[in-house]
Amino acid sequence: MIRFLCLGLWRDRSRSLFPLLTVVIGVMLTVVMFSWIKGFTENFLGTSARLGSGHVAVMSRAYAGERDQLPNDLALTGVQGLLERLHRDFPSFAWTPRIRFAGLLDVPDEKGETRAQGPVGGLAVDLFSPGSPEPAILDLEPTLVGGALPAGRGEVLLAHELASRLGLAPGASVTLIAGTMFGGMATANLTVAGTFRFGAPAMDRGMILMDVADARAVLDMDDAAGEIAGFFHSGFYDRRAAEAAAARFNARFASSQDPFAPRMDTLITLSGMGQFLGYMDTILGAIVAVFLATMFIVLWNTGLMGNIRRYGEIGVRLAMGETKGRVYRSLIGEAAIIGLAGSLIGTVLGLALAFYVQAHGLDFGNIMKNASLLMTTRFHTHVTAAAYVIGFIPGLAATVLGAATAGRAIYKRQTSRLLKELEA
Amino acid sequence: MKQAAAVIVLFLVLAPARAAATAPESAGAILKKVDENRVTGNKVILSEMTIHGRRFSRTVRARSWIQGTEKSFSEYLEPPRERGTKMLKLGDQLWTYYPASDRVILIAGHMLRQSVMGSDLSYEDMLEDPTLHDSQQGAVSGEETLLGRPCWVLDLRALREDAAYPSRRLWVDRERYTVMREDRFARSGRLLKTAVVESVRRFGDRWLPDRVRFKDALKEGEGTVFAILEIQFDAAIPGAVFSKAALKK
Amino acid sequence: MITLRLALRNILGTGIRAWLNAFIISIALVASSWNQGVVAGMDEQAARAARDLEYGGGQYWQESYDPYDPLTLEEAHSPLPEELRRLVNEGKATAVLMMQGSIYPQGRMRSILLKGIDPRQHVLDFPTSALSAAGAGLPALIGGRFARAVDLARGDTVTLRWREPGGAFNAEDATIVHVMQTTLAAIDNNQAWLPLDRLQEMARLPGAATLVVLAPGTAPLSAPPGWVFRDPDFLLRDLRELVKTKSVGRVVLLVIFLSLGMLAIFDTQVLAIFRRRREIGTLVALGFTRGQVVRLFTLEGALHGVLAVLLGAAWGLPLLWLQARLGFAVPPGTEDMGISIGERIYPAYGAGYILGVAVLSLAVTTVVSLLPSRRIARLKPTDALRGRAS
Repeated sequence: MIRFLCLGLWRDRSRSLFPLLTVVIGVMLTVVMFSWIKGFTENFLGTSARLGSGHVAVMSRAYAGERDQLPNDLALTGVQGLLERLHRDFPSFAWTPRIRFAGLLDVPDEKGETRAQGPVGGLAVDLFSPGSPEPAILDLEPTLVGGALPAGRGEVLLAHELASRLGLAPGASVTLIAGTMFGGMATANLTVAGTFRFGAPAMDRGMILMDVADARAVLDMDDAAGEIAGFFHSGFYDRRAAEAAAARFNARFASSQDPFAPRMDTLITLSGMGQFLGYMDTILGAIVAVFLATMFIVLWNTGLMGNIRRYGEIGVRLAMGETKGRVYRSLIGEAAIIGLAGSLIGTVLGLALAFYVQAHGLDFGNIMKNASLLMTTRFHTHVTAAAYVIGFIPGLAATVLGAATAGRAIYKRQTSRLLKELEA
Repeated sequence: MKQAAAVIVLFLVLAPARAAATAPESAGAILKKVDENRVTGNKVILSEMTIHGRRFSRTVRARSWIQGTEKSFSEYLEPPRERGTKMLKLGDQLWTYYPASDRVILIAGHMLRQSVMGSDLSYEDMLEDPTLHDSQQGAVSGEETLLGRPCWVLDLRALREDAAYPSRRLWVDRERYTVMREDRFARSGRLLKTAVVESVRRFGDRWLPDRVRFKDALKEGEGTVFAILEIQFDAAIPGAVFSKAALKK
Repeated sequence: MITLRLALRNILGTGIRAWLNAFIISIALVASSWNQGVVAGMDEQAARAARDLEYGGGQYWQESYDPYDPLTLEEAHSPLPEELRRLVNEGKATAVLMMQGSIYPQGRMRSILLKGIDPRQHVLDFPTSALSAAGAGLPALIGGRFARAVDLARGDTVTLRWREPGGAFNAEDATIVHVMQTTLAAIDNNQAWLPLDRLQEMARLPGAATLVVLAPGTAPLSAPPGWVFRDPDFLLRDLRELVKTKSVGRVVLLVIFLSLGMLAIFDTQVLAIFRRRREIGTLVALGFTRGQVVRLFTLEGALHGVLAVLLGAAWGLPLLWLQARLGFAVPPGTEDMGISIGERIYPAYGAGYILGVAVLSLAVTTVVSLLPSRRIARLKPTDALRGRAS
């Protein structure tokens, strides 16, 4: 029976091609839209993770409690060992140490005397270790205003505004003065490799970005780090997985009384974005629901029309003695095959498109030319597991339902009038 | 010989005070003696500062050359990371030299309020003129015994309106004129910092505290312990020591 | 003209199907207007919160004040100039003095910002009146987030330490008289609000302020010497930029929603042409040029757009209006973010946006209708008459 129906659909393109195309396009749109919406939230989260503490972060308990005070004396120690354990036990994340600090930037004149001074906030990340995920995560290239990315130890990036306030150009030498992990004062001479602008006033006013090894040397933080940031390899925040990882990690230290025992937190709790995400979820959920409902109507309509088109053919089949039930069932079977095939193709095409945009993003740099925003102007979709199935809801269910609704007309037709209709 | 003479002179000066121990001297007179006892011409001190943090404790060792109240030069010897760091104080200016960056940096503005080497002391505290008799005034408010030594308790007010600590209370050894304890108060009278002498030692002809615990009274913790290991009075210090050029040497 | 009437009769004649298509497009219209409204509503609410709680109708900054550099606070204060004092006295502005200080919750030191504000002010809409509470030695008002961060609750006392401009230390215990729940981080994070006169006294800066907030709706004066006026546009710049980003998401969603509507129209058009081959043949036989027939069918398709706009207006506008009136509750979040949004979102629709979307959908409907109709031009009238599609 199924084979018969398939053959029929294959041979009579007018019966199949157009409804199929509609389903394909509809399902594709659904998948793309769904992934776009998922990705849109990610764009907000992504920025927060990128410049913040990752999708999950491991810090010492004491540090986490006073995070905003940058208490590096409370930082994690034994980071190398901890990193290895994290790599082994939580392989779905890329783990990387980060250090935040506050300090003073001192600019010498020719004689080495202080020419200018200014407070700085520092972020140190692993720029140079082979295999470090940071260069890809931070993606600093587009934020460069002048100069180049640091190419070696002792080279740093400065916020463009800070650099111009201190009268610094790429290539200039500066001295960083900061407190060490043990409370001492330390200095280091650094070279400004380039200047950047993230678009966030707080960072653009006075941020220095440097390699974590340099920071460790200055701050006397050998094998220590304020935080170990974890980024999902997928690049996307997975709330449930993040929470599960944090719970699993923290359970191991539950019995420890050590205030410096490591503790894992998720991006949501760290950034305080829970409420914001709640809003996003509500709104986006409503949009998805409306979209699905509408798509359902469209495809139901397609199923409906497909049968109306075949008014004559059905008449002939009934006149030839096929039972109404059989005709009805065959119509639904055909719709199911079209719905299934359409949903499959549509999902594949939709996923392909969504994956493409996920990988390459859509650049809205032109629209947002004047936006000096922390976030990228490049927007990405995010393909989730749900995207694989969501298209089938309208694609399959609506098409079948449409056929079922339209097919009821079969039962209304009177055999006596069939031949008359055929003459017309 | 010279020192012996000084002891005799000092004894003569102090003798009447000892005799009148029960009748308090004026606070001003006591302060003057305190200053005479500790603020001298030249001295070279080897000191150790143990800083108790919330997590780590560490000890910093330094040698200081001090001339009166205006000039001092310190070189840090320990821990290894700090070795070679130098600090020069000339009047109310403070420079530090960091070997890591080979830079001399003027500590000014808000940096003065930072703690020195993570201790409970700020650079500003270090810059404070240590002479008491011309910066404080007040009265003897009582007597107490600290470390087994009878002390005057002095309640003092800063003469300068903008002094960091508008008032303080001093416990001064009635015989040796060493300060045994010092509490520093906010304008509201709230206790902010304490310096408690934990032991005194005789250096040549005078008694000086050789172990003092400084503490931020509002903060929990064990504070910073400052200890004098060696002290040399009236040392000959070449004038070149108190110059910026000496920092880089 | 005859074409228009004919087209209208034709599509109305198809009955429910025409309305269904129109309905689908109208959903796209209404949904995207709603989406725009909600996002704009959120933004407006955030902007309003910032205005009501922080920026007012603009701020006069003491010229040394730089919100991103706390070190400037040591210098950033002067006695209120006469003009500004008059505004303050008239209740058209309120002065804020800022100073750095430390608090010692649980025996740990933490640097915070001390902000003084007149407890009786009505310029900014947060509960400063709590600061006039009798009995509390030094009353302090803090935000919920900060209260959590330092583990303080209403009724607790905490030691504040600060330095007077001359350098002298001072310290006093403050009593937390109120913990305000606010989503605006700018009045919450790492700061404590004190009565202005008390802070001025503490800072030994009688009559001084760091900035003066103008009441919303008050026309700004030209800034007195030593002060700079920052208008709301300047103050809200960061927020506006964020809004721009969100608009990108909106554009993409609109495109997807419209494609959905277009899919429906396209579908209908193709089917209509298929089913009405005979009619096409007849029209051509009656002397209609092919161009006219194409125009007729295109017009019919485009009329779906018109119907959609009408239909959308009919069901959508009341719904949108209702939504704007009632707002909708937002699920309680665990934490807040730096952007302030209320507990209910009230959408703020843009008439221009709705109109634009309507015009856009008309245009796109027309194009989509034209595409299948061009096939008509390729139809042989003889075949068409017999009901055969080529």
